[in-house]
Amino acid sequence: MDEIVKGIFYVAVFPGLLFCGSVGLLLCWVDRKVTARIQSRIGPPWYQCFIDIVKLMGKTMIIPRGSRRAGFLLAPLVGLAGMTLVSTIVWRVNIRPGASFIGDSIVVLYLLILPSLALILGGSSSKSPFGALGTSREMKMMLAYELPFIIAISTVIIKTETILLGEIVGFQSLHGVLIGHPSGGIAFIVCLVCMQAKLGYIPFDIPEAETEIIGGVLAEYSGVSLAIFKITNAMMLFILPLFLMTLFLGKIHFNVKGILVALVEFLVILLLILLVKTTHPRLRIDQAVKFFWWIVTPAAVAGMILALVGI
Amino acid sequence: MNSILIVPILLPVVTGLLCLLISKRRILEVLTFFGMFLTSVAALVILLGDSLRLRMEWIDFSYFRIEFDLYAYHFSSFILLACSFFGLLVTIYSLKQMKDKDHLKDYYCYLLLTVGFANGALLSNNLVILLIFWGMIAIMLYLMIRSAGIHAEKAAKKSFIIVGGSDFLMLLGVVIVWQLSGSLTMTDMTIPVRGGLPTAAFILLMIGAIAKVGAMPFHSWIPDAAEVTYTPVMAFLPAALDKLLGIYLLTRLTLDLFVLDNSMKILLMTIGSITIIAAVMMALIQKDLKKLLSFHAISQVGYMVLGIGTGTMVGIAGGLFHMLNNVIYKTCLFLCAGSIEHRTKTTHLENLGGLSKSMPVTFIACAIAAFSISGVPPFNGFVSKWMVYQGTIEMGGPFWPVFLITAMFGSALTLASFVKVLHSVFLGQKPKEISEPKEVEFSMKIPMIILAFLCVFFGIFAQFPLKYVIGPVLGQHFAGFGEAISFSGMWSPTLATLLLSFSLICGIIIYRFGSIKNVKDGEIFVGGESIDGEEVRISGTHFYDTIESMGFLRILFEKGKSGGFDIYERGKSVLKTLSMILYQGVDRMIERFYDGIQIVTIELSQYFRKAHTGLLTTYFIWFLVGITVLLLILMK
Repeated sequence: MDEIVKGIFYVAVFPGLLFCGSVGLLLCWVDRKVTARIQSRIGPPWYQCFIDIVKLMGKTMIIPRGSRRAGFLLAPLVGLAGMTLVSTIVWRVNIRPGASFIGDSIVVLYLLILPSLALILGGSSSKSPFGALGTSREMKMMLAYELPFIIAISTVIIKTETILLGEIVGFQSLHGVLIGHPSGGIAFIVCLVCMQAKLGYIPFDIPEAETEIIGGVLAEYSGVSLAIFKITNAMMLFILPLFLMTLFLGKIHFNVKGILVALVEFLVILLLILLVKTTHPRLRIDQAVKFFWWIVTPAAVAGMILALVGI
Repeated sequence: MNSILIVPILLPVVTGLLCLLISKRRILEVLTFFGMFLTSVAALVILLGDSLRLRMEWIDFSYFRIEFDLYAYHFSSFILLACSFFGLLVTIYSLKQMKDKDHLKDYYCYLLLTVGFANGALLSNNLVILLIFWGMIAIMLYLMIRSAGIHAEKAAKKSFIIVGGSDFLMLLGVVIVWQLSGSLTMTDMTIPVRGGLPTAAFILLMIGAIAKVGAMPFHSWIPDAAEVTYTPVMAFLPAALDKLLGIYLLTRLTLDLFVLDNSMKILLMTIGSITIIAAVMMALIQKDLKKLLSFHAISQVGYMVLGIGTGTMVGIAGGLFHMLNNVIYKTCLFLCAGSIEHRTKTTHLENLGGLSKSMPVTFIACAIAAFSISGVPPFNGFVSKWMVYQGTIEMGGPFWPVFLITAMFGSALTLASFVKVLHSVFLGQKPKEISEPKEVEFSMKIPMIILAFLCVFFGIFAQFPLKYVIGPVLGQHFAGFGEAISFSGMWSPTLATLLLSFSLICGIIIYRFGSIKNVKDGEIFVGGESIDGEEVRISGTHFYDTIESMGFLRILFEKGKSGGFDIYERGKSVLKTLSMILYQGVDRMIERFYDGIQIVTIELSQYFRKAHTGLLTTYFIWFLVGITVLLLILMK
């Protein structure tokens, strides 16, 4: 019973939905502000993303006629649930590395698919041709970035000789952070590129592509269901960089210095993502797939080979 | 008590033969149902009892004896139960799906006979007996595929040649094993794979097992059969029974009969990963539902072979668990395909769409099975795939990253192709050609519901099948399996599912906070176009055209589509070349030799005919010359 209460707390409050969602929405503001500054605009106030969500909550939800209502409304929840669980796992590893279970890195890898799956299901059940196009593109994007992503994670596993996230951070406390090794560095860069795609940020926002297929999957979503998609995305903006930090930069040390260092690292990663986002045009889907399969994957393989020979 | 072992073999066979005598459909169905049901009961009784053994003298020459030796222990009796149970489910499903088909009594007869022979193969403890039953199943496979009509002849022949050919290789393997160990009793032998002969024996027997499950390169009969034959046949044989039998044999080979060295493990794992990735790539571009599913039936085999090939405890457990899970979701998927075919008379993805509203049960069952096969947590496929990955990593060696990456990426590709299925069949928009179909009948729903439920149950409570089904099998080979499986510190599917459901509930609470009451229906936004037009309907068939037409993948796909990787087609072309050489080198040579003699004879006779002038005097002179020569010779 105690476990269950704890579980509910983890999932609902900290480090799950409430905490992760709030921080994520705050980061959304950072995203918008930085983007605005780069484009010589002023940008919104810090609470903008929160009031956006509140507004969406109050809006009427329009469900396309002839679609499966339950499936249409459940789809966003799948992504939210996946992100919540990832957040719980990643934070627990950082707080108590001993508490990780065997193979949790692979579990996280799988749970990270859920937000994409949510988009795919939602787009597909919305009956809209834009949704269908978005679905197809989202799936292709997933195939594209998943291959180098898996290879990069394998590199980490080779390097640390464990698949426990807890032991991966433990290894880094003893032998120095992974990003310091050439193989770890390559894997980190590969992961960074894949993360850009996972977040659906330019130049990989092909499944949404507002100017082309009017938001694709999200075209038919409105009201609360759209708000949930937005929250999921905000959570991803928080958790994905954190996951990379856990894998490549070691765990967060919970003292003033440690937290400050983690904050700086986090902001640097975020800034990198945002710089790429604001300075690049969107790719076509075939270009993106080619980019990931013929450029990023060989790089990831090179990193893996370096790890295998022990560099 | 031991003689109960004969029941699951004899009962279906006798019932099956009885079916041939009956022409009334109702009686036929009742008979088949009860035949299957009683077989399942017998299998359950055997499973719940202790291990049993039944031995009878059969053939006894002084140097060579074959015992009719049946042996049931938890592993074989569990697979026995699974076989009979799936037989029962398919029978229930067939009652409605097959009712207006021709040759119904043949179909039910073959179904029962197959179950009987499969049970025989599972229980036999003597390699020759196993081989006999194995061969009979191959014949049944031919007959069942063929039962769909004359158009299935070609595919049936192909299946029989591939599976039958592998049976022949198995026979060679059995002979070598007999030579090596002097015994044919399976429980008596442990052959270390070292040196030429044991390796050959293992590879030959392994080919028999993996041809049955359809691993590459012995896979090509499955898609061909899927295209032409009845869906229940596919759901029963390649999706369920063949997997159970093949993986059962492979496990027995690797765990009991042989002691593998590393190179054999690597061989198995290589076969596994190639099968995973190549078959799923082909599945990605299929345009027919049944054919697509059949490629997945091949691809999933890869995970089982990979898991068993690792030789580690968790890997083998994962492989076996994956077999069980695969049988559940793959049968479910084929049954869903059958339901769709039953209602819309087509399985072509292009002509389907938007069925989720009219066939909700089929949709949900299909979606659950699709997520299971793609390894989405928390469904059953995820747990077993995860165990296979874990085994691959534990195995170590220089190649594990390659195996791991192919397996994991294969999983992503599987998801991709099922997204295509779900979109083009159930979601998306309905094409004009199909009218609003009804949900299928109750007796067709029941098997789908049971299987979908099992997918969820085995996913959330994975510890139960692992503990009670796979635990006993591996317990005797790996000490400490019991503790390892108790999941302390491992991925706990139950807890994870609990947490996932909490988060889902949190999401629902967000919905409650918001304006969920404030919902209205609206038309989709298509920028002012007419929404009924065909041009706004996007079928899933073309989802992956981008990938199909990319660089060297295009060449591979084209080769794959034209049968370039098909052992049967390859074999056919090799035979063709060989026969061409024989034709030119031997047949034509002899022909030319005869022609030459003829020409020479004619030419020579041109000269001789000049002697035939028809004048008596000339002949007389010839005669005199001849006689003189003769006399000269004689007098010498």
